[in-house]
Amino acid sequence: MRRLLWIPWPWWRRATQLALLLLFLWLFRRTEYSGSDQLAGGENLFFRLDPLAALAAMLGTRQWIFAFWPALAVVILTTLLGRFFCGWVCPLGTLLDGFHRLFRPLSRRTNVLCQNMPAASERRLRLIPHVLLLVVLTAALFALPLVGFVDPFAILTRGLVFWGDPLFFRTTDAALSWWGNEAVRSFVREKLLPYRAAVFQFASVSAAILLALFALELVGRRFWCRYLCPLGAMLAWCGRRPLLLRRMPKKVCATCGLCASDCRFGAFSAGGDFLPGNCNLCFACVDFCPNGIVSYGFRGARGSSRAVPVDMSRRVAIGALAAGAALPGMLAAKRFVRPKKVDPFLLRPPGAADEKTFLNLCIRCGECMKVCPTGVLQPAGLASGIEGIFSPRLMPRLIFEQTYCEYACTLCGQVCPTGAIPLLDEQAKHAHPIGKAYFDHALCLPWAKQTPCIRCEEMCPVPEKAIKIVRTFTVKGVDGTELEIQQPVVERELCVGCGICESNCPLEGPAGIRVYRLDAPPQETEFLLDEISKGGGKPPSTTGQGD
Amino acid sequence: MDRRSFFERLTAWSAGFCLAKPIFDARSILAAEANSRPARKPVLSVAKNTDYEALVGKVLRPLGGMKAFVKSGDRVVVKPNIGWDRTPEQAANTHPLVVKAVVRECLAAGAKQVLVFDRSVNDERRCYSRSGIQEAVASLGDKRAKCIFQDRKKFLPVEIKGGKSLKQFEFYAEALPPHCDCYINLPVAKHHSLSKLTLGLKNTMGVIGGNRGEIHHDIHQRIAELNLVIRPKLIIIDATRILLRHGPGGGNLDDVKVLDTLIASADPVAADAYATTLFDMKPEELGSTKVAAALGLGEMDLAKVEIVTA
Repeated sequence: MRRLLWIPWPWWRRATQLALLLLFLWLFRRTEYSGSDQLAGGENLFFRLDPLAALAAMLGTRQWIFAFWPALAVVILTTLLGRFFCGWVCPLGTLLDGFHRLFRPLSRRTNVLCQNMPAASERRLRLIPHVLLLVVLTAALFALPLVGFVDPFAILTRGLVFWGDPLFFRTTDAALSWWGNEAVRSFVREKLLPYRAAVFQFASVSAAILLALFALELVGRRFWCRYLCPLGAMLAWCGRRPLLLRRMPKKVCATCGLCASDCRFGAFSAGGDFLPGNCNLCFACVDFCPNGIVSYGFRGARGSSRAVPVDMSRRVAIGALAAGAALPGMLAAKRFVRPKKVDPFLLRPPGAADEKTFLNLCIRCGECMKVCPTGVLQPAGLASGIEGIFSPRLMPRLIFEQTYCEYACTLCGQVCPTGAIPLLDEQAKHAHPIGKAYFDHALCLPWAKQTPCIRCEEMCPVPEKAIKIVRTFTVKGVDGTELEIQQPVVERELCVGCGICESNCPLEGPAGIRVYRLDAPPQETEFLLDEISKGGGKPPSTTGQGD
Repeated sequence: MDRRSFFERLTAWSAGFCLAKPIFDARSILAAEANSRPARKPVLSVAKNTDYEALVGKVLRPLGGMKAFVKSGDRVVVKPNIGWDRTPEQAANTHPLVVKAVVRECLAAGAKQVLVFDRSVNDERRCYSRSGIQEAVASLGDKRAKCIFQDRKKFLPVEIKGGKSLKQFEFYAEALPPHCDCYINLPVAKHHSLSKLTLGLKNTMGVIGGNRGEIHHDIHQRIAELNLVIRPKLIIIDATRILLRHGPGGGNLDDVKVLDTLIASADPVAADAYATTLFDMKPEELGSTKVAAALGLGEMDLAKVEIVTA
């Protein structure tokens, strides 16, 4: 069947690709606070379709994650139909196709590498995704999460969250400030733009990774999908013996070879054999075959293609498995040389499990950072090792008065596709403190400089106030007026670790109050509340000068 | 003295007078005149009712209704407290029904535009939404009334004339005279750990930019001085329910006391002084009220205020 309802198949595919890309972008836009504490749902749909992320997260934590049922559907459909996902669904694939279309004249000159590649090198390159897949999954089994660095959705979404969306906001907002009438402006600002341009650290790194994939598109058509993408490898493996077969009577077209040379996915071996695992079912060959004899169908006709397995040698496979198994051990061994110190300020999102489980569940998709209304969730650098890069952490002091965890907000748990940040209601969130706040008496104004402040106490969202005024006294200011000094302490049982105190502390530089990880409290603690009430602690000096 | 030397001297003297730096600045005298206590006692209206929308009309009646403040074609700013991510019954923000009724009165008085905004402490989207104020303004269905988020680019540095602790601060442009003909201050009365209470004078902190933490170092003086710039034509203090403890954020319903009361006046100091008494405190216990009275912003002695119970 060359056409469906008189429309050629490639048009159906393009329409589907475009519709799903728009769905992806629409869900991306909706991954934002919009007046309700409950998101509409489905914002993380594309991640839940991702069998690679699903398998890696499940292997890493050895648990069944039910939220990933759509990924199971993708696997089953791929087994039946073949690797349709890459050609019809994947938003990164669609963007790469669009990019290719835009830069076709340029890529004619730049894709020499791919065109002139010897068959043997091409075959070797083809193995990279499979090797990556084996390494990632084995490493996941041995508790080293790597999937976030190679998963196409994670790379795409991170690039968009950290760099694409803020750039889109800033350019559009700037353009609107000198062009457009009120109707256009309000439409664009309310419907198309995010609420504000978020600020993220390592935005340039995420952008560089994403842009590199697009640059590779200039080297060869769907270079990323063919020679790198481990999700593609997984789908190729699932779809290596599909029921949907490509039919092509060999007799008629022995001399043409156009389908092999123009295939965007390189689904033909050097000898002209069709490799179902590499076919993304784009149906371009059905359309452009000059003889009109290529078709796809469920029953194998004469001359139908035979499944050709991935030609990965045993040596390479064992090597990949060994590498995946050894890598976690190597990173762990590093700690014998230099013992790992827990960064006391590495705060994980509310409800996150212990560091190891959290990192193994987190696929670095950036959804939580996208949805966070204050922007306190930031991609981590090397704070918890190489394996922790791009995982979310709270940085309350990043932007003054703005970055802290909203007391009643539970959005990050609602978008997390793996449950690394669990779905908590408001009460449950408060029962899982992010950390605990501690005063630094060398910095805090009422303690260190006898200056009235207690902005932290004002901000504290806990109804009973986790920051208490422990002592009130008056000093004489420079101009002779009496100043009332209130010295605060943290009642640790009440503190939820939201960091609004740290974010709002009016000091320049480090705050006079900081949130520490639950498992890494500071060495020199402040006076504890109960000590003060028992009459402990040093008396306030009255020699200090007020502000 | 001949005619010639007379003219020479006359010219020299008058040139000298013209060029000399004036010792008296007539403008400040005129301004002080305007600030000085009016001959007539300031009027303060207090009303009580459980229907908060009707309460607004009731409390304004002794003052001559909203028409006494909002002229036809005015651009009005209504500045409630939308500082916190809390629900109306938690008493951290101005009650949405009070805001709605005030905006409706302004529209009825012929306002060209009514802007409602605050510089929220929590995420402004959450505050506007959970306080119910955004929805209350939208429910009026009038295009002239808008609940807007502050645009960070619209803060202007303003010199504070007569300020001792603050010489200059950033203020929100939309709340200042060229953009705003009538500023209505609509605070909620609640406890505050540093300034003791937050009432009308402190509500002005919602239209300032910059580092608001700076205000806290000399809070009473600085709050009063901010009010040298922002001069509301009308102050309505929302005491429908007041927060007695754990302010200004609150969150615990045990700390809330329902009073069903509104206080309205054109005198910011008198309004605060009266609202202080609702907390069983004396007006002079509040530093900002004392400083504001000393700056000539209004009358804090309630004996000298004409209190009308509507």
